[in-house]
Amino acid sequence: MKSKRIACIAMAGLMAASLAGCGSGSDNKDTTEATKATTEAAGSDSADDTTADAEGIKSYADIQLGTDFTDLSAEIKFYNNRTDMDSDDYGGKNWKQYLEDFNKEYPNIKVDVITDTNYADDALTHLQSGNYETVMCIPAVDMADLSTYFMSFGDYDTMSSLVNYSNRWLYQGQVYGVPLAATTQGIVYNKKVFADAGVTDVPKTPEEFIAALKAIKDKNPDCIPLYTNYAAGWTMGAWDDYISITATGDATYKNQKLAHTKDPFKNYGDDTHAYAVYKILYDAVSQGLTEDDYSTTDWESCKGMINNGEIGCMVLGSWAYPQMEAGGPNADDIGYIPFPISVNGKQYASSGADYCYGINVNASDDEKQAALVFVKWMTEKSGYAYNEDSLALVPGSESKISFDGVDFVADEAALEGEEDYLNQLNSESELNVSNGGNDKIQAIIEHAANGDMSFDDIMAEWNQKWSDAQESLGIEVTEK
Amino acid sequence: MANKKQSGFGKWASSRKGQQVIICAAFAIIPLLLLLVFTYIPFGEMVKFSFYKMKYTTPVEKREFVGLANYIDVFTRKDCFGALKLSLYYIVGALVQLVLALFLATLLSFKVKGGNLFKGFIFFPYLISGIAVGFIFKFFFTRGFVFDSILQLCGFSLDNLPYWLKDQSVNNWTLVSTSVWRYLGQMMVLFIGAIMSVDAELYEAAELDGANKFQQFRYIILPSIKTIVTLNVILAITGSLSAFEQPFVITTGANGTGTYFIIMNKIAHTSQKVGLASAMAVVLLLIILICAALQKLFFEYIFKDSSSDDESYKAKKLRKKQERDTKKYVKQMAASAKGGK
Repeated sequence: MKSKRIACIAMAGLMAASLAGCGSGSDNKDTTEATKATTEAAGSDSADDTTADAEGIKSYADIQLGTDFTDLSAEIKFYNNRTDMDSDDYGGKNWKQYLEDFNKEYPNIKVDVITDTNYADDALTHLQSGNYETVMCIPAVDMADLSTYFMSFGDYDTMSSLVNYSNRWLYQGQVYGVPLAATTQGIVYNKKVFADAGVTDVPKTPEEFIAALKAIKDKNPDCIPLYTNYAAGWTMGAWDDYISITATGDATYKNQKLAHTKDPFKNYGDDTHAYAVYKILYDAVSQGLTEDDYSTTDWESCKGMINNGEIGCMVLGSWAYPQMEAGGPNADDIGYIPFPISVNGKQYASSGADYCYGINVNASDDEKQAALVFVKWMTEKSGYAYNEDSLALVPGSESKISFDGVDFVADEAALEGEEDYLNQLNSESELNVSNGGNDKIQAIIEHAANGDMSFDDIMAEWNQKWSDAQESLGIEVTEK
Repeated sequence: MANKKQSGFGKWASSRKGQQVIICAAFAIIPLLLLLVFTYIPFGEMVKFSFYKMKYTTPVEKREFVGLANYIDVFTRKDCFGALKLSLYYIVGALVQLVLALFLATLLSFKVKGGNLFKGFIFFPYLISGIAVGFIFKFFFTRGFVFDSILQLCGFSLDNLPYWLKDQSVNNWTLVSTSVWRYLGQMMVLFIGAIMSVDAELYEAAELDGANKFQQFRYIILPSIKTIVTLNVILAITGSLSAFEQPFVITTGANGTGTYFIIMNKIAHTSQKVGLASAMAVVLLLIILICAALQKLFFEYIFKDSSSDDESYKAKKLRKKQERDTKKYVKQMAASAKGGK
């Protein structure tokens, strides 16, 4: 009996000790890693102040593709989110084909492509573990932590002349990310459907757009001129992305002015601003130019339908363009046009970088060099941006999205001290502009279809909510 | 003995009674701790949140105490309290479901050809995940798809059929029907289980007495399974008040199908008004408590027959009446006997 007890106590003691061992062990590891990271951060900071050349690495700007480093031997890993491009069935060019092309020029640089469906979360875990890939798409890290994880491609002045949208990961004058692709906001449409209906000029104003939709309906009553994707929800919230730059041409509208605007949803009388954007939707629905039964729309089937000419157009960001092309056999019929709003006779579109390449700052010099070559080759020579329907990344290069005469503008950040205004207003007013406010746009469709509330009444209600929220939060109303 | 000198506590702890208490406490402490940490403390926090204006991310010191403002909002805002009206649809659905489940359970608990097969078929929907049910029914109710085709085969013209999910006068009934479809089987299986426990000899005896099937159901089955019926009604009504899954996966709560829970979810997660959403949750809890209490009273009235062990309420009444009658009769007899003299 007694011996058993003693054995028990001994066992418990042993277990506790082993647990304690685990704890302290991992603690030690963490701290050493943390100190390592900080020292390295300091090291790389000082390196950034000079240039990448100082480390014996030829910088992004100086690499001559096809001549430099063709005999460099290295093995690098590239971690990204494009699982679809792993497959041989992928409609466009897949990773294997890109790498074959790359190895024709650089036979000794071996690139392992690792893809992940849950990329955004997993990439952060990889970074935190300290053991991450040589090249990866930069996930949502804080700007201040960039230099801890990634090496600089060079200063902004040099990089901006080589790559567009290189300011996505710009910190203290250094560029840490080169975009894989850049997207814009417009309308994805079926060229054939528009041409068959006699719409040859791209509509530039709401009236022209509604007229085009009507022409499609008249020509072919079975075709849905504008598919709303009501049921999916988030596809409705996407309409909010058009009310700032597209509808005003003002880069400061969304983050600096909207919060201070009195009645932002009022009728400006010149077919601009939020009113004009949502009015297009209301009019299209009330005139029967959208699908018959909006409550049972289906996101996956819309891709095949637009590809086969059963849908005229959809209001979605340009990221959706390749998916619509891949939705069926008629990829060439799909096109992308700017949103039909003109501000003083000029059209605008917002644009921004998608995921960006980042290069592991802790990699060896050879690996860094190989990674730089790979990134530059992908950006300038692979045709990736063109194939994936990105906006032109290298200044002057070709892109499938040719918005002739449309100015691309990127949203400017909020003023200092006002970063939270839009979030607070969204929450207080429950309108959630560009922040998951899907139900308010769905309500536009419901009211338009049932005819139980006029468009002006809906906008007046939103204005009221916005004003109430401004008042209760004490946000100054300075813009008219 | 190892320990000769024991203090009062040590003595008690090594006594049989002390050991019992210690072991009981040691076993109970883990579940109680889990219950406290994961149920009651978070609930207490939620009640506290309902008096504040805050987001999830608001630091504790910046949360603004607003007193009862959130509760006033719950009752005055059209979309909050008004959403409870939708629960009426689900309550009606739940009652239909209850009657249907009871009916099928009674049928299937007698000998029926292919009984187990039917049980399986009816129970099957409960095994499908809610998300899949959402997808199934979105296509099922799409204009001109499955449901419309079936009705057209039965001779309906498509022009006379409503848009099942678009038309706001029918779409809530549509959602309720999917809910009934899904939970009917589960309720039925619970009833069958309860009916199985009724002694079969009772049916034989009843048959000998000439009771038909309905009387057997009314006087044998129903009183025997009253506990499970009461439980199911409480679950069904509570479920109706907090209906969420069907509208969330089929219509995302749009187009006038936003139930109380959907609105609460939107307010808490899209608009980040955690205080208001917490107040809504507390109000719903109170409503459910009141409903449960009312149901208890109601069932006590319904089942008062069988609440006494030895004789039913009616039998008692009858016996009393008979006793009175006999007394009267005896008195009359006595009186007439007197008069006869």
